[in-house]
Amino acid sequence: MSRRMKIVLAIGAALAAVAGGAGAAYALQVDASAQLRASGQAGEQADGYMGIVGNGGADLRAQVESVNIKRRALYTELAQKRGVKIEEAAASTACEIFKTRVQPGQYYRLTDGVWRKRDNTPVPLPSYCG
Amino acid sequence: MRWGLTLSAAAVATLLGGCVQVSAPDKPIEINLNINIKQEVVVRLSEDAKDLIQKNPGVF
Repeated sequence: MSRRMKIVLAIGAALAAVAGGAGAAYALQVDASAQLRASGQAGEQADGYMGIVGNGGADLRAQVESVNIKRRALYTELAQKRGVKIEEAAASTACEIFKTRVQPGQYYRLTDGVWRKRDNTPVPLPSYCG
Repeated sequence: MRWGLTLSAAAVATLLGGCVQVSAPDKPIEINLNINIKQEVVVRLSEDAKDLIQKNPGVF
């Protein structure tokens, strides 16, 4: 196999990997996390992940898990880019999620571990959110 | 007869092996709300966090 051929094959494999990744991301509904929050069966946690409010069925658990796996991948990437811990990237993002994504009537869980429903006032932010 | 038993045992083992592989998903996310983080880090990452949320609407 010529060197050029090898390079062509390597590029092809890389493109296939990228296309596969995009396909997987596409499988997640464009508003999956928003729908989960709106359902009232899942909410946002201070650790940067979604959690299940009450006793969720297997289907709900699978949906939340699917969102969380993607979040963890993004947090890992951000943490590496900025030289911080994954937990730090995740908790920092949680501050923004609390500010902009949790709507009135939806659930959130701060560091005390208690699920609360947001009223018409903003979500009370943990002190480290700044 | 003995061969048959051996073969079916092998088949079962293969099937079980397959099952184990199929049911091994990504590790579940561990929920840890004991967050130990400095405000300085959150402030430094806030623009990145906003960006992350806006660019991944299905995830956030």
